[in-house]
Amino acid sequence: MRKKGNGKRNGSGRSLKIILLSGILLPLVLIFLVSTLGSQKFGTLHRLVAEVTGPVQLAVARGIDSFNTFRKDYLQLFTIRDENKRLWKELQECRDAANRNREALATNTRLRKLLQFKESTDLPTVAARIVGKDPSLWFRSVVIDRGENDGVAKGMPVMSGDGVVGQVFAVSPNFAKVLLAISPSSAIDVLLQKSRVRGILKGAGSLTCKLDYVLKTVDVQEGDQVVTAGYGGLFPTGMPVGVVSRVVKQRRGMFLEIEVTPTVDFLTLEDVLVIQQETPFAVH
Amino acid sequence: MSVFVFILIGLLLVVLQTTVFMINPVWPAAPDMFYILVAFLAYRFDLIRSLLIILPVSVAMDVFSGVIMGIYPAICLVSFALLKGMAIRIPVRESIYQVPFVGVSYLLVNKGVYLILSFLAPDVLVPWSWPLMLLRVILLILVAFPLFSLFEFFDSRMQRSPISFKMLRVRSGNAFRREEKER
Repeated sequence: MRKKGNGKRNGSGRSLKIILLSGILLPLVLIFLVSTLGSQKFGTLHRLVAEVTGPVQLAVARGIDSFNTFRKDYLQLFTIRDENKRLWKELQECRDAANRNREALATNTRLRKLLQFKESTDLPTVAARIVGKDPSLWFRSVVIDRGENDGVAKGMPVMSGDGVVGQVFAVSPNFAKVLLAISPSSAIDVLLQKSRVRGILKGAGSLTCKLDYVLKTVDVQEGDQVVTAGYGGLFPTGMPVGVVSRVVKQRRGMFLEIEVTPTVDFLTLEDVLVIQQETPFAVH
Repeated sequence: MSVFVFILIGLLLVVLQTTVFMINPVWPAAPDMFYILVAFLAYRFDLIRSLLIILPVSVAMDVFSGVIMGIYPAICLVSFALLKGMAIRIPVRESIYQVPFVGVSYLLVNKGVYLILSFLAPDVLVPWSWPLMLLRVILLILVAFPLFSLFEFFDSRMQRSPISFKMLRVRSGNAFRREEKER
């Protein structure tokens, strides 16, 4: 009896398996057949399903993308500070390099002018750098880094690529004090290049000089070039000194009031040339 | 020791004044820092030590500035005498009250020396300018406060150092006088 009952249960179990298997296989076969033999187009149901699920898919995909971007950005925050520091350092280095380049360019231009002047004259010269400036309101002088050991002596003319700077006023073994041409105590024998009329150029203490002892009868125009006269043997002849910037003819007096703007820019002066020539002040 | 240190400080101030603070040869806004040192010495130091410091510093100024040798030692000594007199007459020790006197004395000494020089050597000086001079006085007063504090700091450190000048000084046998002086 028991055996019979078991055989019945085994038979119904087998048929259930067959039904399940065919339930899975048959749709697969059907799908295969439809996909291979059918029109390959979405039917109404497919379309409906696609239109309903598509936006959901889209929203989910966008959400995933946003999440990934956010995650990436958040993770990058940990490294961004170091990156920022590195970039700032790099920027600073670039700025420093740019500054150095600009400085080198300016120095190059300055030195090129000095070199041109040095090559244009037969006189022996020594290049010097301005190391100190007179802090007083009453005097105008500078200290250069060349002295007796370099052949610099009192009274020697000091030039730049643009023209006359002044003359050596006092010397020590390695340094010298230069009285600038704009100093009131400076007096240089000069010529008006056009008319060849002689005068004395005196500093005014500011960035201009005045040209004294030029008679009212002389025709002096603004823009006339003023050069060294070479008398007295202090300055070589024909060195540029300045340009006439103002001429005043007063009713009284014999002489014109002439203002001269130096050709040398004293505001940016850094390098000079000392002309090593015999001066009346030189001690041997 | 303090004399040596203050000479070095003075020379450093002179160097700074003639390099860093002078942007170009006609730059007007450079404070006269050596003058602040002279004022500090007049207010805080005794005569001998002050003169020992003033002399080399003023000679350094003579080297770097001017065309009349000896002008800076003269200016420094006149300023020192004036400020010392002020310090004795007006016995205030707080820098805040002393610094305005430094500015006034600077103006007086400069004007006085300028008048004498313009009489003796009229063609040597740049024309006097009140705006520039007042600018210098204002700068001097502004810079004087931090510099006075700095000098006082160095002075107090020197007094505490084991080789202080005070320790080498011969002391009076009169204990009462000594206490009075120290007070």
